[in-house]
Amino acid sequence: MASIYAGRRRKHAIVMALCIAAAVFGLAFLLLILGALLWHGLWGLTPAVFTEMTPPPGGSGGLLNAIVGSLIMTVLGVAVGAPVGMLAGTYMAEYGRYSRLTMFVRFINDILLSAPSIMIGLFIYEVLVVRMGHFSGLAGAMALAVIVVPVVVRTTEDMLLLVPGPLREAAAALGLPRSYVIIRIAYRAARAGLITGVLLAVARISGETAPLLFTALNNQFWSTDLGAPMASLPAVIFQFALSPYKDWQQLAWTGALIITFAVLTLSVLARVLARQRVTQ
Amino acid sequence: MSIRVQMPADSSEATRADGDAVVMKAVSMASMPRTRLAARDRRQVLRRLQLSDRGFHVITQLAAAAVLVILGGVILSLVLGSLPAIREFGFSFLTSQSWNPVTDKFGALPAIYGTVITSVLAMIIAIPVGIGIAIFLTELCPPSLRRPIGIAIELLAGIPSIIYGIWGLFILAPFLQQFVEPALIAMFGPIPVLSRLFAGPPYGIGIFTASFILAIMVLPFITAISRDVFETVPPVLKEAAFGIGCTTWEVVRKVVIPYTRLGVIGGIMLGLGRALGETMAVTFVIGNAHKISGSLLAPGTTISATIANEFTEAVGDVYTSALIELGLILFVITFIVLAVSRLMLMRVQRRAGAS
Amino acid sequence: MSLVMDAPAAHPMARSDVSEKISIRGLDFFYGQTRALKSISLPLYRNEVTAFIGPSGCGKSTLLRVLNRMYDLYPNQRAEGEVLLDGENLLSPDIDVNLLRSRVGMVFQKPTPFPMSIYENIAFGIRLYERVSKSELDDRVKAALEGAALWNEVKDKLHASGLSLSGGQQQRLCIARTVAIHPEVILLDEPASALDPISTAKIEELIDDLSEQYTIAIVTHNMQQAARVSEYTAFMYLGELIEFDRTRRVFTSPDKKQTQDYITGRFG
Repeated sequence: MASIYAGRRRKHAIVMALCIAAAVFGLAFLLLILGALLWHGLWGLTPAVFTEMTPPPGGSGGLLNAIVGSLIMTVLGVAVGAPVGMLAGTYMAEYGRYSRLTMFVRFINDILLSAPSIMIGLFIYEVLVVRMGHFSGLAGAMALAVIVVPVVVRTTEDMLLLVPGPLREAAAALGLPRSYVIIRIAYRAARAGLITGVLLAVARISGETAPLLFTALNNQFWSTDLGAPMASLPAVIFQFALSPYKDWQQLAWTGALIITFAVLTLSVLARVLARQRVTQ
Repeated sequence: MSIRVQMPADSSEATRADGDAVVMKAVSMASMPRTRLAARDRRQVLRRLQLSDRGFHVITQLAAAAVLVILGGVILSLVLGSLPAIREFGFSFLTSQSWNPVTDKFGALPAIYGTVITSVLAMIIAIPVGIGIAIFLTELCPPSLRRPIGIAIELLAGIPSIIYGIWGLFILAPFLQQFVEPALIAMFGPIPVLSRLFAGPPYGIGIFTASFILAIMVLPFITAISRDVFETVPPVLKEAAFGIGCTTWEVVRKVVIPYTRLGVIGGIMLGLGRALGETMAVTFVIGNAHKISGSLLAPGTTISATIANEFTEAVGDVYTSALIELGLILFVITFIVLAVSRLMLMRVQRRAGAS
Repeated sequence: MSLVMDAPAAHPMARSDVSEKISIRGLDFFYGQTRALKSISLPLYRNEVTAFIGPSGCGKSTLLRVLNRMYDLYPNQRAEGEVLLDGENLLSPDIDVNLLRSRVGMVFQKPTPFPMSIYENIAFGIRLYERVSKSELDDRVKAALEGAALWNEVKDKLHASGLSLSGGQQQRLCIARTVAIHPEVILLDEPASALDPISTAKIEELIDDLSEQYTIAIVTHNMQQAARVSEYTAFMYLGELIEFDRTRRVFTSPDKKQTQDYITGRFG
């Protein structure tokens, strides 16, 4: 009896130690990655990074055109994708809460949410790049917009579902048309959650590389022309990191640090906001 | 004046005013006409709003339909783009190992093999670790640490894949090449089958490194979903098991995991779906070699890495089309995995909602 | 004057000196296949308070939610029969539900202030229907808050969030919001059940004041409350209307044994 018990205790202790080891393992990688980024990235973090264009091999320069390109495409991608996602999420949580279309859209949306983003790149390549005959910042922004949609759909639906039913009924009881109940009351109550969704979407696309490779391509020079190939931080990192040139690799590290910093800031911000979720 | 019986809606205003005037209490006299007026204005206001109200409904519905259109568009464009390659190679595209842009002979087998093997290896590493962390978070962790560690793991999920790529290329690959891979070769060298799997020079870059990176990337997904489904276990069930003297491990093994099996498998499939389609991190460290090698330490390629590396440089319709057909194959594989994962998680949610 | 007396199929309780604001006739209500209301017929008299009592699940709240078609928001719920508001059948499919709801206001069990300032909570509804100047709007907001006996408590913090008020104040804010758009009927669904005794007393006082101008229907599980605030009482049980009469009679000499049992606390 006692020995059985001791055996069980031992087994318990071993497994629990392994679980703790697993947690340490997971956290260690976060620290290792962040540490490496800081170590390698900070060396190159000079003002020139933000004021000069990407250099030719062996030359010196910065990441200005890539940063600006990323900003332009991210902003445009969110501006196009977020409204679509928000409206679709609104349909699913409000008008179509009990409809078959909603169940189906939710299923498809969840798949799009985890679908390989490189396929989105191929899709936009076929639809826009082939039609236009050349790569463009616009195509890159549209690829990002397609990635934004499912993220925003998901959070919008979830957040609107958290708005208490009685609040909706109270608004309807004043005679408010349904769209007013949604826009003036439900959106307002879920405001923090809706912003969270958009922030998460921005975080998601600001590091996306695969869908940009054959839509926006890259551009070594300054360009804000949406009809022409456009540089982006991830694409530059990809190109520079795999190059044999030390200067380029250094810039890649610095770019990686900037992206990670931006993404983590957005995620933390979104999390803080999400804690409020729904007013009330 | 018995018009009340079946009064048409429009005349009710005037009639009501009559009726009111007679029976109304003196106090409310002053306010009543105002009410009447307001009601009439309101009818007009609401009529005006009706159009925009209806419009908003339709717009949201169209937006929801747009989600379906996006998926339809992805499928359609992949299929149409693949047609030249499908016509050229037919079924042999799936079984051929050649990848020769010069002679325009393409086969997907090495890429499919690389995709599947890296994902499976990644899952072998990530599943026990991910579930272990989830058990740690739900059963062992002091409550004050639960949130910060949970957030840290989720931040790991938020780091863009290109960051994993650059880190894998410059930090992880040299480390594995110098320390881990020689050890693996030495350790498995004398063992018959495994020596083949861990044969050859330690490149640093290859299937093994790619799998390792993928494992770290999908870890947060498995952890987060396992933790969420573990938390759906009704406390009474766990308390009952603790009550008869079970250790924490026994409670997890005999109560928590059986109860949440479906959800955990769903989470694993979701992680697998991610691993299969992951592009940038793999592209950096896989070596991009179109051959199936017996050793896990040798360079290889995956579907997404092939597309990322070669698409912009591809010349000729057949080459481009072959790459798009690779994308189509990837789509089919991930769609099935993700769909199964979603169906499982939906069943868990429904059960959690019902209880 | 003859208007009311000529009305067909008047309820036995119909009286010549008070008109029916709402006449419910043969009302059935279904949640999917479940019949939650069974051939209900009764009047709601103009500018009187009618209380609905009965054990939980008896259908009293369901009945209330028919009167402003709140059930329209949900699928698989439907009402059959006739509910006349000033002679118009409000169950008819071509009625403008939003207009109906602006005429038949509702206050809920739990206070539901909108996530905006106290002032906005009230101005919101007014602005929807009417184009009013800033000063007129201020007056209307003030009047509504006074009408809900809340003005003195909030006049210095009109721009604070409606959520910052206490439960009882929130509930009066909701009443003020309802009154502000000048409805004709006010439905109160257990308006005091989530409140402390002092707030409850204030709400009851308010109901009394409001009945001068509005036709009021109140659902309550508190029989003393029904006795205190209402002129008429309907006792419902298992989806049926068991008894409807003057409150005094229902509580002192009910016709039906079930009513007596419920009122004396033998069940429910």
